[in-house]
Amino acid sequence: MTQQIVNGAFMGSIYALFALGYTLVFGVLHQLNLAHQAVFMLGAVAGWVAVVTFGFPLWVGVVVAVVVGGLLGLLIERVAFAPLRSRPDDHFAGLISSIALGIVLVALALGTFGPDTVRFPREAFPRIGFQIGGATITLLQLSILAVAITMMVALTWLVNRTRMGRALRAVAENERAARLLGIDVERVTMGTYVLSSALGATAGILFALAFNTIRVEMGLAIELKGLAVIIVGGLGSLPGAMVGGLILGLAEVFTIAWIGSGWRDAVAFTLLFAILLLRPQGLFGKPKVREV
Amino acid sequence: MSNEPPTDSGLSADGTSGVASDPTARTAAALVVEGITVAYGPAEAVRDLSLSVNAGSLVALIGANGAGKSSTLAAISGLVRPRRGRVLFAGQDVTRWRSSRRVAAGIVQVPEGREILATMTVHENLMLGAWHQAQGFEAGVQEIYQRFPILGERRALLAGSLSGGEQQMLAIARALLAHPRVLLMDEPSMGLAPQIVDEVFAVIERIRKEGTTVLLVEQNAQRALQAADYAYVMETGELVLEGPADELLANPKVVEAYLGESLSGEDGLEGRSFDDGDADAPRRTSG
Repeated sequence: MTQQIVNGAFMGSIYALFALGYTLVFGVLHQLNLAHQAVFMLGAVAGWVAVVTFGFPLWVGVVVAVVVGGLLGLLIERVAFAPLRSRPDDHFAGLISSIALGIVLVALALGTFGPDTVRFPREAFPRIGFQIGGATITLLQLSILAVAITMMVALTWLVNRTRMGRALRAVAENERAARLLGIDVERVTMGTYVLSSALGATAGILFALAFNTIRVEMGLAIELKGLAVIIVGGLGSLPGAMVGGLILGLAEVFTIAWIGSGWRDAVAFTLLFAILLLRPQGLFGKPKVREV
Repeated sequence: MSNEPPTDSGLSADGTSGVASDPTARTAAALVVEGITVAYGPAEAVRDLSLSVNAGSLVALIGANGAGKSSTLAAISGLVRPRRGRVLFAGQDVTRWRSSRRVAAGIVQVPEGREILATMTVHENLMLGAWHQAQGFEAGVQEIYQRFPILGERRALLAGSLSGGEQQMLAIARALLAHPRVLLMDEPSMGLAPQIVDEVFAVIERIRKEGTTVLLVEQNAQRALQAADYAYVMETGELVLEGPADELLANPKVVEAYLGESLSGEDGLEGRSFDDGDADAPRRTSG
């Protein structure tokens, strides 16, 4: 039981990080970035290249993933969204062009790295475990959890307590008012994509470390889960994405433990539907009001 | 007003004179709009409009709903790019500047409908007002709280919980923290109860006395003309009349078109609608 909770929280924190990237962009800019799944994969690939090809320690791999993610965010904003901004249907057009950019990025990765699953060498991982109330948690799991939680706390602090965060919230609530206050909305937009993609890429490298598998299609498997998490949490809500991710992680782990791994998606997604039946606006969503 | 050769050197000579010592002289223009046309798709909201606002003066832009007043302000603030024409600020052509740069330079707008950030606190709204003026913020905000005690009392409340009149004061206070050199005010009296309108106009006149140039857009023509030095009248996207405000107040055409109703009552509140009459009973989230 304790072991299941530990595993579920661990999985859920990765889902939450990934979903935060979606919900941040949606909350501030009301856009859905479907190239996010490619960022997840490329974060993992970048970390793997840093560790395996260049021989850096694991923590450097995580830092490399964060930086590569941020740069990808800039690329996505400039290529998939910015050129369409003057169109009246820019949100829908951006959604479609972000799907296309995601396909291009995945195809480029496929061409460069091939279709095979790659792994970190066993000796790259620390072999240390802890016993907590009957559950075993490895140093690796603990580190992954720590990175995920640190990033969530840092993001919450940034949004609620800093100048940049005030600008994000101002743009989220009323872009026109933000412009009249002198906020450079274009810079806030780019910053939002950088932050969002850094979170997505971090989720990717943490996921890769957790399961020690990296495949070019790894983003496609998590894409729908991330979208489900933000719908259940409440579109645009940061706490919603965190809690939603945790619920999905726990639901999956408990389904596997109690019913069987074949039932994982069926039970987890049914649970998400049940939550939406009770709270159609999502856990932290407010009807007709967006929040960051 | 009909022909508009966009001469590039026309107004630079008087535009560069900077701060005016004599607000009645029509020479030291803080803000000049030269023949702008603002269009949204095929529809022209403003056609070939020119106006000039002297440093230190209070200029009113009046006209009926939909005359193009707000579109004119949008062009001055950089929210829309005029299809033709130029905007000059302190002699500089700012037509291609982004809105953030214009605010930093001192072109600050109090928008129609106030547009306070309802999900943020009063204090956070004021911090955002000082976006480009962050260093003097603490002193500035204390001054604001002395000047508008109600905002000081409610600094930690969400701005959306304030009454309409309080929100208007917040919108004005927020703009003042941006250190405006030209303050653009779009319908500051809209939807407010009469005594709140009096307060708002008292604040506007004080801002002007302190040396800030004001361009005031109003549907409440009587109040605007009483406060202003000079005024322009817009109809369906074009200027139809301009002159010293007291002359326009006495002009039979203006009286007929814009002041007719107001003459029947001293406080000029006829013909205006109140959004919810909440000014008398401010909504509060805590006691």
